[in-house]
Amino acid sequence: MQGFAERGNSGDLAQLQSTMHAIELACTSIQMQMNLGAAEATILSLSQTPQPYQTCKFILENSQVANARFQAAAAIRDAAIREWSFLSSDEKRSMISFCLCFVMQHANSPEGYVQAKVSSVAAQLLKRGWLDFSAAEKEEFFYQVNQAVYGIHGVDVQFAGINFLESLVSEFSPSTSSAMGLPREFHEHCKKSLELDHLKTFYCWARDAALSVTNRIVESDSAVPEVKVCTAALRLMLQILNWEFSPIAVSLGGRMGTDSPKRSECNQVQPGPAWREVLVTSGHIGWLLGLYAALRQKFSCEGYWLDCPIAVCARKLIVQFCSLTGTIFSSVQMHEHHLHQLLSGILQWIDPPDAVSRAIECGKSESEMLDGCRALLSIATVATPSTFDQLLKSTRSFGTLTLLCILMSEVVKNLMTNNSEEETWSWEARDILLDTWTALLVPVNRNGGNASLPPEGKNATATLFALIVQAELKAASASAFKDDDSDYLQASISALDERLSSYALIGRTAIEVTVPFLTGLFSERFERLNQGRGIIDPTETLEELYSLLLITGHLIADEGEGETPLIPNAIRFHLPHNLEAEMHPVVILCGSIIRFAEESLKPEMRASVFSPRLMEAVIWFLARWSCTYLMSPEESRDSTTVLLKFFGQHGQGKLVLDIIVRISLTALVSYPGEKYLQALTCFQLLHALVQQKHICIHLVALDSWRDLANAFANEKTLFLLNTAHQRSLAQTLVQSASGMRNSEASNQYVRDLMGHMATYLVEITSKNDFKNVAQQPDIILPVSCLLERLRGAASASEPRLQKAIYELGFSAMNPVLILLEIYKHESAVVYLLLKFVVDWVDGQISYLEAQETAVVVNFCMSLLRLYSSNNIGKISITLSSSLSTEAKTEKYKDLRALLQLLSSLCSKDLVDFSSDSTETESTNISQVVYFGLHIVTPLISLELLKYPKFCFDYFSLLSHLLEVYPETVAQLSNEAFSHVLGTLDFGLHHQDAEVVDMCLRALRALASYHYLETSAGKVGLGSHAAGLKDPGGNFQEGILSRFLRSVLQLLLFGDYSPDLVSGAADALLPLILCEQSLYQKLGNELIERQANETLKSRLSNALRSLTSANQLSSTIDRKNCQIFRKNLSNFLVDVRGFLRTM
Amino acid sequence: MSDEEHQFESKADAGASKTYPQQAGTIRKNGYIVIKARPCKVVEVSTSKTGKHGHAKCHFVAIDIFNGKKLEDIVPSSHNCDVPHVNRTDYQLIDISEDGFVSLLTENGNTKDDLRLPTDDALLTQLKDGFAEGKDLVVTVMSAMGEEPNCALKDIG
Repeated sequence: MQGFAERGNSGDLAQLQSTMHAIELACTSIQMQMNLGAAEATILSLSQTPQPYQTCKFILENSQVANARFQAAAAIRDAAIREWSFLSSDEKRSMISFCLCFVMQHANSPEGYVQAKVSSVAAQLLKRGWLDFSAAEKEEFFYQVNQAVYGIHGVDVQFAGINFLESLVSEFSPSTSSAMGLPREFHEHCKKSLELDHLKTFYCWARDAALSVTNRIVESDSAVPEVKVCTAALRLMLQILNWEFSPIAVSLGGRMGTDSPKRSECNQVQPGPAWREVLVTSGHIGWLLGLYAALRQKFSCEGYWLDCPIAVCARKLIVQFCSLTGTIFSSVQMHEHHLHQLLSGILQWIDPPDAVSRAIECGKSESEMLDGCRALLSIATVATPSTFDQLLKSTRSFGTLTLLCILMSEVVKNLMTNNSEEETWSWEARDILLDTWTALLVPVNRNGGNASLPPEGKNATATLFALIVQAELKAASASAFKDDDSDYLQASISALDERLSSYALIGRTAIEVTVPFLTGLFSERFERLNQGRGIIDPTETLEELYSLLLITGHLIADEGEGETPLIPNAIRFHLPHNLEAEMHPVVILCGSIIRFAEESLKPEMRASVFSPRLMEAVIWFLARWSCTYLMSPEESRDSTTVLLKFFGQHGQGKLVLDIIVRISLTALVSYPGEKYLQALTCFQLLHALVQQKHICIHLVALDSWRDLANAFANEKTLFLLNTAHQRSLAQTLVQSASGMRNSEASNQYVRDLMGHMATYLVEITSKNDFKNVAQQPDIILPVSCLLERLRGAASASEPRLQKAIYELGFSAMNPVLILLEIYKHESAVVYLLLKFVVDWVDGQISYLEAQETAVVVNFCMSLLRLYSSNNIGKISITLSSSLSTEAKTEKYKDLRALLQLLSSLCSKDLVDFSSDSTETESTNISQVVYFGLHIVTPLISLELLKYPKFCFDYFSLLSHLLEVYPETVAQLSNEAFSHVLGTLDFGLHHQDAEVVDMCLRALRALASYHYLETSAGKVGLGSHAAGLKDPGGNFQEGILSRFLRSVLQLLLFGDYSPDLVSGAADALLPLILCEQSLYQKLGNELIERQANETLKSRLSNALRSLTSANQLSSTIDRKNCQIFRKNLSNFLVDVRGFLRTM
Repeated sequence: MSDEEHQFESKADAGASKTYPQQAGTIRKNGYIVIKARPCKVVEVSTSKTGKHGHAKCHFVAIDIFNGKKLEDIVPSSHNCDVPHVNRTDYQLIDISEDGFVSLLTENGNTKDDLRLPTDDALLTQLKDGFAEGKDLVVTVMSAMGEEPNCALKDIG
């Protein structure tokens, strides 16, 4: 074994001994929890010493303390990565081979973690030098490893060799690699190189190692040492198959397609044709399945059990093989054969399902069964439903789909009997199997209908769906009397939603059976309710209906997610369309539900049957249903579907729309205080209705809609809704104006609806005694409601309504200022005021004519000034810490609103639809915004910038301003200017990379502006940049100098993500150009601080090439910036390693 | 609460009711509420149902605005709660005495001398310094349900 460059002589031995003792002592005291600080410092100093390799090597070879050896290995790693660029290539190589030899020589050491550490150090160093070493040099290392893995040095060395390969592969895999302070390109490069040249070889080595010990394991009756090797080899193979293989362009066979969302989510293994021989055609799978089958026989033997490491690894590897797909298979047949082979091996884990389930209930471990389910999931992701089904046909009388159904049924039955809150194996199995169904049944792309299942499969899924619904109903009635303590936990709702969507996929495969089945279940429950009214407690039935409504909603309609959902393909294509509309199963089902929902309009039915919870399900169902079916615009295009016609504009559509509106009004008026129900009604049902213009046309013509608008404007009960719901209702009602004939009619509609609310505000604020009564709760409430409603109306802005909404806001301008003054201490009202103005300005600004703009801008400035004078210097005193945090939060929200207001005003310069483009006397937006910033900045404290959202908004506004209007920044007063720049400095040291990036952009803009201006002989930033004397007579340097320092400080010594480097380069270049003399000075200081001569010259060379390499010139055009980016990243790779340790 | 204090606030509050009924469902976070006859600020509202198919109820967590104690209450959403009338009055600061009492100028030209400053030293110094520099200081006093705290909101203007 070759050691390090031997520099020491015997005299150093004592020195090495004493260092070793110091490190050993430190390690022991850390274990004993004594003198932690000092001990850690000792260990740190080892890795911080220049060239500590000799010492580390000595410790590794001589120390008896395992922890000390561990730390020595860590120190080698740290020091070598840091000093890599100036180690000689001999030193590098000898260090790696030292680590490798160490691992091999001590392969039988009991301290596995030290071996693992040294092994990973070797792997990291090998990767660090990967691009420098020649192929022959690498071969030399790998030869050594190959010998070990081959097994000629015994089992322990074989194990060590496999372990090294495992660390190496994990080091080269981008998700698990260590950063080593190198750019992403380096890691990508290494990954590609390993994949291309070595990965398959490693796999073969692992396979051969496993093969070589297989017989020994199969033949023995108890655990043998070879098991360890085999387990490690299986783990390495699994790891290699987990590798993210670079995509290969050509696609062949199977269900390929990169566009579907499903593809990306699943973990597919696509290594390409080069791997065919190794993985597919060499009988490798047969060996693996045989190995596991042999292991299964041994589970009764000593040393083997279902969850022993080798069995777990083997199963995982088998499951991973199920995901194998892509060009590795030369034909579809080959892929099918592969899957068939795997499935026949896996079958024993899950078949027969009832026996497996019973065995688990009797205490057998469930892991094999769950792995079986996972394997089915993996197969489902790479196979079409029909391929999937066929796989079993050759060996069984039924298809795989039937097996899946039986398996799922067993799981559901188990869930039904063990109805517990705890997660059991059957929960997990159910989730995996549902994913399997989703993988099989979700259409690959939107247009192609999901392939229909074979008849036998359909029967099976119909039975399964029926069983699932029964299980859900049983669970529902069992839980009906439980207290609703979970108060709508968001997580559990979305989990339920996901589950129901998967159920719906299963149900849709046999739609002609499942729809009538659900209709039957409904009519049974309706009947039960009617008969039992007043006699039997309906609660259980209500809860069953609740579940049924959710299941049905998922079955017959998709969620739109912002788009108009189409009728599910199963309903469109697999239901007979030559029926009379009244006979169509979906019409019958929906019709009966809508008739049932209509019952809620009768007060006595409402009182006895329609509990708030049931009503929630009704509203939810109506919302989901109406998006797809009600007056669908597809109606005329899609003549095949009687369904859409039936609920279309010329069919029953208007009637149903009327019923829906009346039910909504009932939900809002007759269920006081039921927030969740009202939220559903406002945000989901009504909101969705007015999104579609053709529905609005009918809506505004309905009496019931007029009733709703009337009730909204006049009825006291609707003032009792949650204010957010009132806002949404106002928005909805205003939006429905898009259904009016023309622009005049729509504007008039809005005036009629909202006009008197604004008038009311004007009236109360102009009363003399308003100030005296304003603080009364019975005044605050209606004022808040009105503001929320105005805000709702304002946020419904659209070009056609612009006039009416502008007038609305215009008339509210004066009252808003009065209210802001009167309610200055009532933070809740202030926030509503600000939000109204923000939404109004945001909706209006781009449409305003010059004169209107001036009015709005003046109003906004008065608002800002008033807010500022009310709040600046204000100190809240309260006994309660939680109240003072609340106060801070309120302030943050206010200021965030003000920033949004400024941003909206800013947008006038970018998007302007006003008619008079001639610059008559248009307002200078940049002036306005800077004036606004002047007012707002004193209110912004560094404390407030700790709120992430606020911080983000503030810096994005600031960087936008500095980039677009740098010239106006110079006009800010000294105080405001330094405040703004102070926050910039704060942002530069922020943890969030995005914030730092925005600050860097702002700095670049500022420095570039100054540089360009001064080069043109103008003042630029003037005194801000030149520096000034503070009142004490001390000279304060200019801001650009300050930022040059901090950016350099950050780049050289700070912690930051590598993504920031290019942004920092863009900021640094103009800063250097502006402050050349300071830059020289700082550079010289840096060089002087280096004690070591080599480092000194390296640093000065690096600094020189930073500003001169690649023909960098002193301009700040695009090309030059790019050169500088490159220079900077080279510079950093070169010097950051040693600079940071000083 | 002493009798003298009553005289000071009587002017603004004359004839006005101290609390108002308001439906529980309309009371939001940051609003005020009376719990156990104490005026409080709501810091948390959550809703739940009495049994799955029962009616909604609101669960309030609120903080006594005068003594900072945390109080909780559960009210059916459709029922009424009492909401306190929280009044705030601005006074000009005219003097700070050694023992921490302040002298305030009321709107009609009288003085109000019964208010004691908080015991927070840093704040006291800040106020005193500001006052000594000749700044105009405005003290806002919050009152509710006939109670006026010895601790209030202050503006340094």
